[in-house]
Amino acid sequence: MHWVAVAASAVPQYGHDFPVLTMVESPVSVRVEGSAYTGEGQRELPPRSRPWYACGALTRRLRADAGRGEPLRILFEDNSVRAFAGESVAVALHAAGRQVLSRSLKYHRPRAFFCLEGHCGGCLMRIDGVPNLRACMEPCTNELSAEGQNAFPSPDLDLLEAVDWMFPHGMNHHTMMTGSKILNLVMRGIVRQLSGLGTLPDSDADELPEVEELTVDVAVVGAGPAGLAAAAAAARAGARTLVVDEHLQPGGSLLADPRHGVAAAQAATTDAREAGAELRSRATAIAFYPEDGGGLLAVATPERLLRVRARRYLYATGGYSVNELFVNNDRPGVFAARAVGRLLVQHGVLAGERVCVVGAGDYAATLTRALSDAGCEVSTVDQRERRIIGVRGRTWVTAVEVDGADGKTSRIDCDAVAVAATPAPATEAPRQHGCKVELSPETGGFACLVDGDGHTSVEDVLACGDVCGYAGPEAAAAAGARVGAVAAREATA
Amino acid sequence: MKGKIIVCRCEDVTLHDVEHSIELGYADIEEVKRFTGFGTGPCQGKECMALIARIVAERAGVEAASVPAFTSRPPIAPTPLRLFARDPAGDPDDGAGSEER
Repeated sequence: MHWVAVAASAVPQYGHDFPVLTMVESPVSVRVEGSAYTGEGQRELPPRSRPWYACGALTRRLRADAGRGEPLRILFEDNSVRAFAGESVAVALHAAGRQVLSRSLKYHRPRAFFCLEGHCGGCLMRIDGVPNLRACMEPCTNELSAEGQNAFPSPDLDLLEAVDWMFPHGMNHHTMMTGSKILNLVMRGIVRQLSGLGTLPDSDADELPEVEELTVDVAVVGAGPAGLAAAAAAARAGARTLVVDEHLQPGGSLLADPRHGVAAAQAATTDAREAGAELRSRATAIAFYPEDGGGLLAVATPERLLRVRARRYLYATGGYSVNELFVNNDRPGVFAARAVGRLLVQHGVLAGERVCVVGAGDYAATLTRALSDAGCEVSTVDQRERRIIGVRGRTWVTAVEVDGADGKTSRIDCDAVAVAATPAPATEAPRQHGCKVELSPETGGFACLVDGDGHTSVEDVLACGDVCGYAGPEAAAAAGARVGAVAAREATA
Repeated sequence: MKGKIIVCRCEDVTLHDVEHSIELGYADIEEVKRFTGFGTGPCQGKECMALIARIVAERAGVEAASVPAFTSRPPIAPTPLRLFARDPAGDPDDGAGSEER
């Protein structure tokens, strides 16, 4: 059977102005019926069980290369993989149809990314000889070499996975010591060889960078909808404003939301910059040290450490994608819904051909529609009606098992699962300031407690957006604009 | 359906491990963290803390709001140590922070 790729019309609603690749069968029927995104019954549905990304030139990428960065070549386990400048190693490997990236440290279970936002620890790889780098946070460069970790001989086929089968109920290390000292030493030696996080880097760190001192009026952490709106408002009100964001591109959850997308993220970024805010990407707020001369926010960039002092600290750190509890919930192919959305909206890459969306809510519904418009076969599991009990598949998801209201178990075939649970507020840094947080299931986790103006329980700290409990990008942007203005007023008073 | 339910991806901690910890009496969130090792991996609890806190609240039969978060310690995200090598706070003769401690 032959397949050809046909470039169809553009997809304005995602902010990209380049064509969509629609897969059509040849020579049986070659039909181009407009964008794969227009929906309304005119999409091309790929038939089931077609290994369409496994045949060389074709990938999981949806669109032609026009809107992407410069094409590159990276190496995965010494195999050449096509990539583009500006995207992360994890995205490039997934787009090229690669599956298992690494193995877990204890049971050697197969691992791939879950969140695609640097927060899950699922995609740790050895990149250019440096261990434990998050593949989703490392940009592709030409001839970059990525290797799996904790796997022998390869991430796809790891003989040490035997540990997982030998201990079906888990390994309780508290009770694994024997009575004999010598035997304990031998056992420890073996276990240390079997487990762990990678091996030492190939070379020493070359030069040690100087730290950079920065003093501003308002320091905003996070450049998602809330952070960008807050920074624009603060800068417009005359405050010297710095925004730090850990990702390769600013935009946060806007880049994962089919209702907003790349164009909305760029517009919000431009607005903040034009208002006069300084924006730094790939800059992660790693700590707040209250004891260091009146308080110091440490920010790590790939080049150097920034020591930031501000009159007002404003946290717009958003939320972390979280998983649901079901058997084999760590299997590669089980993704956070937002990772699936990010692949589609930011990168034009399909998470899979047949996607099962688990969960309810606005975002799950939006994602279901967008995936379906993009040509995926989408099934949904609304956890209020029927519960997911597990996934099948050895190194990649092949099906989900669902428990219905009538007590019967049914199976849904799929090659990707999108878990749409409420994101957990990212409150680490505010907690290091001493801000009060409270656990409540509705807000997704420990939410920052704030008043109407975004004040936390600590005087010089404000917070807005999903870090105060999940409310979605529109509410976050509105809160950001309000709280940013408050922070600026107090900082310049 | 048989198989492991992973609650902490970084450290391969299963739901079974957390339940075992609670059964043994290590039932508050800091104790569960120390017994199972959840939240001590590269992600430092970003993905798992809220989930496990909910389990702890459920099993103890207490209000969610009464369960505290575990202590957050620097660094919040994986950071290469070379960035700290020239940080003045790292020098005991020079840094304001180190002297106070």
